[in-house]
Amino acid sequence: MSGSPVVVEGLAGGYAAGADVLRGVSFTLEAGTITAVLGPNGGGKTTLFRAMLAELPAQRGVVRLVGRPAYVPQTDRTRLDFPVNALDVVLMGAYSRTPSWRRLARADRDAARACLDRVGLADAARRRFGALSGGQRQRVLIARALLQDSPVVLLDEPLSGVDAVSAARIDAVFDELRAERRVLLVATHDVEQARRWDRVVCLNGEQVAFGAPAEVLTTAVLRSTYGAELVVLAGGERAVAVDHHSH
Amino acid sequence: MLPEAFDAPFMQRALLESLMLAGLAGVLGSWIVLRRLAFFTHGVGTAAFPGLVVAGPAGVAPQLTGLAAALLYAGGVEWLGRARRVAVDAATGLVLVGALALGVILASDVFESGAGVDRLLFGSLIGLSDRDLWLTGLALAAAVVLHIALRRSWLAQGFDPGTARALGIRAELADRLLLLAITSAAVVALDAVGALLVTAVLVIPAATVRLVAPSVATLQAGTAVLAAVEGVAGLWLAYELNIGPGPAIAVLGGALFALVAVVTAVARRWT
Amino acid sequence: MLDWLLDPFSGALMQRALAEVLIVAVACGPLGVWVLLYRQSYAAESISHAMLPGLVIAALAGAPLLLGAVGGVIAAAVAIALAGRDERLGGDVGVAVAITALFGLGAVLALSPDVPARLGELLFGDLLGVTGGDLVEAAVLAGGVAVALALAHRRLALSVFDRAAAPSLGARPARWELALLALLAVCTVAAVRGLGNLLVVALILAPGAAALNVAPRLPAALALSAALATLAGVLGLLASYHWEVAAGASVALAAVALFALSLFVPSRTAPFDTQA
Repeated sequence: MSGSPVVVEGLAGGYAAGADVLRGVSFTLEAGTITAVLGPNGGGKTTLFRAMLAELPAQRGVVRLVGRPAYVPQTDRTRLDFPVNALDVVLMGAYSRTPSWRRLARADRDAARACLDRVGLADAARRRFGALSGGQRQRVLIARALLQDSPVVLLDEPLSGVDAVSAARIDAVFDELRAERRVLLVATHDVEQARRWDRVVCLNGEQVAFGAPAEVLTTAVLRSTYGAELVVLAGGERAVAVDHHSH
Repeated sequence: MLPEAFDAPFMQRALLESLMLAGLAGVLGSWIVLRRLAFFTHGVGTAAFPGLVVAGPAGVAPQLTGLAAALLYAGGVEWLGRARRVAVDAATGLVLVGALALGVILASDVFESGAGVDRLLFGSLIGLSDRDLWLTGLALAAAVVLHIALRRSWLAQGFDPGTARALGIRAELADRLLLLAITSAAVVALDAVGALLVTAVLVIPAATVRLVAPSVATLQAGTAVLAAVEGVAGLWLAYELNIGPGPAIAVLGGALFALVAVVTAVARRWT
Repeated sequence: MLDWLLDPFSGALMQRALAEVLIVAVACGPLGVWVLLYRQSYAAESISHAMLPGLVIAALAGAPLLLGAVGGVIAAAVAIALAGRDERLGGDVGVAVAITALFGLGAVLALSPDVPARLGELLFGDLLGVTGGDLVEAAVLAGGVAVALALAHRRLALSVFDRAAAPSLGARPARWELALLALLAVCTVAAVRGLGNLLVVALILAPGAAALNVAPRLPAALALSAALATLAGVLGLLASYHWEVAAGASVALAAVALFALSLFVPSRTAPFDTQA
């Protein structure tokens, strides 16, 4: 459908010409939806995000996005010894819309505080970023994405290894963003989580399936996606994937 | 057989020293390259500089004060790294530049002219005493003994630190002895090539041979031979140009390294 | 007491030396913070040591030192980049060979002619011999570095703090990593007249390291680093005048001493991340 905020068609590519990591990825996402990206480690989830950000060295196919997407990477990639507090990190979301010679706008500073409040970290604004827990840091990065105010938000395993309080808060923010008619694309290992959302993309180097969870999340599809990493629970109808991450 | 430059007694001492340093380069230089200790070697030499400056006025052997300064440096870097207030490469850089600045300040009191400082930084052909030669020989003997005793541990630590410990080898002690051996080698090389260019004799020949040699044994033998050749040629060049041996050996070694690197890279491309 | 502080700077010679260190400190201080955050200390040292042949050639040819410094830095950067690329040796070995060879070449060139170059001044600086023209050069270069750092501040921060997300936030990391190295080269050229190529790294790394130990946030660290670099300059010149020791070395040692003092400030900050 034209007019959809996210259109991906025949996307393929990799980090060097002739060495494809992704093949045959095609999906269309509507406003106000949350879409899970499932797949094993090395299956291309992060590569997909890089391609959607036009950051993949060798890619072909079509990627059409409304506006510049916000990207929430995994927090274990950020520098924890950097001299910034939580509010400083959130304010980075306003950098791209501020010319280099101008101070950050008052409105942006206020909005940053509001974003921290939305993720439940209003009183952590002045705390050093590296001193926060993994779940708190993940929430700060999400607050940064909120400040960017993008129609499309890409999140790379935001709930991985995160404490229960943070996870609940993050879930609530996702629902708010969906209500605001934004598009969320969330890489995750949590198949149960994916069942509660609107769409699922299964990726294992190539796209195995795309569609509503009820249709896509069958044992057969999951087996194609995860291969040996799949664990089938008693009853044979539900399966979980093994999460290799730790924060 | 040798050019007439080597007729003078001081040149013959320099020649003997150079050959013994070539032995050290052979034994330890290989380990320096294999265990990625080039920067440590450079640091030890540079850190010895303030020690060298005060040795003369204090009437003490420069090797002694040089060794003390070098050990302070090694200990200081380790302490800073453990305190984790600054990264290791920054800590090393700061300690070294502090040592250099301190040495220069001390030298403005000690030396009337800049020539004295040049000698400490770049080495000198004259002024090698019997004691210097004996100490170099001692360092060489110690290095050989340690190599024979500890080479398996040094090799294992280089490939896979975790496994080495599991195999029951006293890996950490062996590594400390390696660093001590390198420190001693740098200290005895100081009067010949100077505080700033110990890597010219201890690292460059080994790096050059490493580009072509696969095994430790051939690496050591080849390095010793190359270091000897570069050392003798460097001495001759230094004599002709009337400069310290350090820079001459560095330039010759560097040029040869570049040549071998280019040739092997090209050969690799065609096979 | 006031006399002790002001007397040294009553003459034109010391006034120019003071102006030189103040000008250079404004650039070296903040740049050093970035060099440390980007973990490029080794690059800073390597470039300054390996640039010696350029300095010597300029000195022997009677050409402006600025030209020699620029040429030397470019040659050093190229040699180090080539040597560092060789995977057979790995780690710092190739770079160490390149630095040693170039440094040795500089010494050979300096010491062998009948009228040798003033090697001591090239290595350790000629702070007391600074002319008005030198001050103008330093002001242009250091001023350029300071302005560039101010304008590039946010992109530099993004590229090093969160390399993965930086493009989505408005900065392409590879470009800014390169930009920092270029600014490092320019700052080295600016400072080498006063401190010499062996000691210049003291004014780049020490104030920044001290500031990062003490300041909890980046803007404060940058400002504090500039202030500490300036303080090191003043203290060094005072020591040089009153105790009659080399000026450049005194400034360098003062900077390192300030860093040592900063280690005694209780750490409110997280331990430095030592993983590469």
